[in-house]
Amino acid sequence: MRFALLFRAAQRESRGARGRLAFFTACLALGSFAVVGVSGLARSVRAAIAAQSKELLGGDVWIRAREPLADELVAALDAEPDSERCEVRLVQTMARATASGQSRLVELKAVGAGFPYHGALVLEPPGTLDARLDDGAVAVASELAAGLGLCVGDELALGVARFRVAALVLDEPGRLDPTFTSGPRVFSTLAGFHSMQLEGVGSRITYGALLALPPSAGPAAEWADTLSERVPMGEARIDSHEEAQPQVQRAARQVERYLGLVALLSLILGGVGVAEIVRAWIGTRVASIGVLRVLGFTPREVLWMYAGHVLALATVGSALGSLLGSFLPLCVPRFLPELLPRGLTLGWQPLSILRGIGLGTLVAVAFSLPALAAVWRVPPVRVLRHEAEPLPAKRALTLAALGALIGSVFVAAWVQSEELGLAAGFTGLVAALLGVLALGARGLTRLARWLPRERLPASLAHGIAALARPGAGVLGAVVALGLGTLVVVTLLLVETRLSARLTSALPPGGASLFFLDLQPDQRAEFERVLAAEGAQDVRIVPLASGRLTRINGLSAEAQALVHGEGRGRWALTREQRLTWQQELGPDNHLVAGELWSDPQHLELSLEQDYAEDIGALLGSPLTLEFSGLPIEFVVTSLRQVEWESFGINFFIVAEPGALDAAPHSLLAAANVAPEREQRVQDALVAACPNVTVIRVRSILEKVSYVLSRSALAVELLGAFTVAVGLVLLAGVASLGALRRVREVALWKVLGVTRGGVARLFALEFALLGGVAGLLGALGASALAWAFFEHVLEFDSDVPWWTAPLAGLVAATLAALCGLAACAHALHTRPIESLRS
Amino acid sequence: MPALECRGLKKELPSGAHTLAILAGIDLAIEAGEFVAILGPSGSGKTTLLGLLAGLDRPSAGEVWLEGRRIDALSEDALARLRRGRVGFVFQSFQLLGNLTALENVLLPLELVGVAGARARSVELLGEVGLGDRLDHYPAQLSGGEQQRVALARAFASEPSVLFADEPTGNLDAETGARVLLLLDALRARRQVTLVLVTHDPEVAARADRRVHLRAGKIERIEFGRETARA
Repeated sequence: MRFALLFRAAQRESRGARGRLAFFTACLALGSFAVVGVSGLARSVRAAIAAQSKELLGGDVWIRAREPLADELVAALDAEPDSERCEVRLVQTMARATASGQSRLVELKAVGAGFPYHGALVLEPPGTLDARLDDGAVAVASELAAGLGLCVGDELALGVARFRVAALVLDEPGRLDPTFTSGPRVFSTLAGFHSMQLEGVGSRITYGALLALPPSAGPAAEWADTLSERVPMGEARIDSHEEAQPQVQRAARQVERYLGLVALLSLILGGVGVAEIVRAWIGTRVASIGVLRVLGFTPREVLWMYAGHVLALATVGSALGSLLGSFLPLCVPRFLPELLPRGLTLGWQPLSILRGIGLGTLVAVAFSLPALAAVWRVPPVRVLRHEAEPLPAKRALTLAALGALIGSVFVAAWVQSEELGLAAGFTGLVAALLGVLALGARGLTRLARWLPRERLPASLAHGIAALARPGAGVLGAVVALGLGTLVVVTLLLVETRLSARLTSALPPGGASLFFLDLQPDQRAEFERVLAAEGAQDVRIVPLASGRLTRINGLSAEAQALVHGEGRGRWALTREQRLTWQQELGPDNHLVAGELWSDPQHLELSLEQDYAEDIGALLGSPLTLEFSGLPIEFVVTSLRQVEWESFGINFFIVAEPGALDAAPHSLLAAANVAPEREQRVQDALVAACPNVTVIRVRSILEKVSYVLSRSALAVELLGAFTVAVGLVLLAGVASLGALRRVREVALWKVLGVTRGGVARLFALEFALLGGVAGLLGALGASALAWAFFEHVLEFDSDVPWWTAPLAGLVAATLAALCGLAACAHALHTRPIESLRS
Repeated sequence: MPALECRGLKKELPSGAHTLAILAGIDLAIEAGEFVAILGPSGSGKTTLLGLLAGLDRPSAGEVWLEGRRIDALSEDALARLRRGRVGFVFQSFQLLGNLTALENVLLPLELVGVAGARARSVELLGEVGLGDRLDHYPAQLSGGEQQRVALARAFASEPSVLFADEPTGNLDAETGARVLLLLDALRARRQVTLVLVTHDPEVAARADRRVHLRAGKIERIEFGRETARA
């Protein structure tokens, strides 16, 4: 058949399709809005970072290491013609307002002249860092000033030195929201940093160099690659501005991947909705299809005609949602500014619209195919006999429709996640969930058919009977609404339980404060301050850093070839922190060997998973190097550690006294009542200014806050799935409008008032919604329980009232939506429908 | 060669555990240009016979030949292509497409065949059946008689050689029915179209060249010649 005729026929079929178009749009627009919104946001963040990368980094190249940069590297940088270099030191330390004595953990950045080379800090009073800073002055973030009650000109103690606050930092390009950092920023000069005397043994300082390259140097990434090939970098890592904001870029990729799949779920439910609408619509077109067949249309031509119509409606529906979704990146910075680095401006992402339209139409057409395949079976003789047997189903067509359905979900998941394994897993999970819900729907229909209704009140009997009626749309409504409920309830359960766990009291005996960088000669003063402030369970352990050089007689490099993945690689190539002690804490359990049992060798006890990662066994010889001095040990015990106890624990523990002579610092922990934490911190920072205090509660609160904000985004997307489910329910109710109108007329003729009829319908929809919600919530409880038990290994009970409550909410929403969709039928006069 | 012929035509339908014989071996040959009426009481199998002769349904046994071509074993696609342009239909319940205007209903079979000047021809045909001023009306906006006249225009649009009519006046009042019948007969005669018409109304059947009476799925008797006196 010529395309023009096919197009004309599909176009004519569109007449009077306003209602259908509305439901297509409602079903697909929500899903495509979510898909385009998520993809557009992630793309927008990446594009903005790429466009503003130099400003975000402050230079062209950033080199950093946990130790001073190697002399060879510094010499090579000195020899670079025309490039500018600014030395940087980064460290987390305590800042104390000398006037009030209040202290706070800050992220100190000591910089040389010229910082930053690109972009600009916004200071108050206005000016550059070079102009404002001297060796006795610092610039502090405005939130630190607010927190400690500081003004410009006030005094701030950092380490053993005192500084004048010369300026407030109002804006720092590339800086993340304080929620995502350890503390507010403080800028100092390099000389000022040295005067703080923070560079003790075990201190965690990042030594860096920020470079501005001349235009002749070419692309910064290539320049960086050439440098790292030419010069031994040692521990140092080098990043060009193109790799700026790695955490944000990684987060954007994760958002695109995982939230993209949650968004896809809404679109898939939209597909289920479209399938239901198409099924109901084709049901009303059987007579017309019979006439078309009589006039000489082949089954294939009729199928194309209706598929063309579905394609057109799907394109319009998803285009509308996609267009709206493409504006999401412009709204996010306004409503959730803390999610993005400062100074990042997001742009409109028109290209994402194509993704939304593409996926929307793919899902809609694929999900419609099984329903559309019914047109193939309409026999032409139906124009003569209504009860004519349908033509035999075409097996190839049925299989192709099923294949297209599964294939489309897989392709869409692949497009969204860009990962084959994840796409396959998602497809499998969706198929399994839809399958379980479909079984539930079928069970419900059977139950409704089987249930004796004679003794039930009339309205309840009618509601149950309606569920058993052929074409009641139970399958689609239960699957869509059930899956929507499942997604939302699972997310809510996981988030609330996890948050509760994070913000609840610390485990008994767990430490609430950790103290880093304590030097051995400060121990007595430290113990005095803590005793005076009433700290409990004070525990102090020595801490040394060593590098693993040989395991089982093999060099660490050789071992890394075998165990070079993940933690194994980290352990074999980076400095390891370890302690030495006589007895293990109660949160350590020996699983093999015996502690300090070999008088012939120096002994080590390893955490069992760590031992596996580095390829060490009980009895393995192991060499650690401390400041260039190798010391040989033998592994004599393996331990299991309860990390969630919040105690001081190490992967490597040496026998007592083994490393007393090695350069080391002390690590301490204590349990302090929440209301006394600030006092203890302030007193300690005054007495031992180089010590960094980590407050576990505030970290847990931050993690909980970040978790709740991230969960909010997922839950909002999840809510889309429920919305699609409700739209679907309303769509099914509305498509049966003709039947409803007749029913209403009959009920009214029999003497039932309009309110009475509304109650009958409300009960029918409420039953449908209630069962869908109940099934969804039961599934969600099972998923959440499995997640806690097997992934997080928490004991977490799911509240018993989850499923009934979800069922009740879903029932109410379903009743409201169903009634709204039947409003027209309720208002039609009985005589109008009976006459027709 | 007959325009339409069936040999040993049978149709059985499942009815519970048994099969129900709707047609029990029909032999019939219809010449080109002939007007044959099929009569019989309800359940005698007349509509089933019409469906089988038109290739809308498949027989349980027997053969159907349309203009020298055996059609009972053709595929659905081949049957659909055969119907285009060669076979026309008029039904008791009109069977117009509700979302198409009168003109578009007539135009559709012509577009399917790809006839040049399809629109002009449809307009002319609708004028011929007296609906020249109702081109853009939808079926719901037309009376029963008008709808059936649109159906007549559609049936003759692609100049078929055989026309099948199933109780074409069954849903119309006597006066309108008579006018539609006159129109059908006139159009048929002018275009020399073979007409197979199913009716239970002897008045309608009286216009036919031949009347085939069915009873219980078998030909009971055949009458020849127009009964002009009754018409």
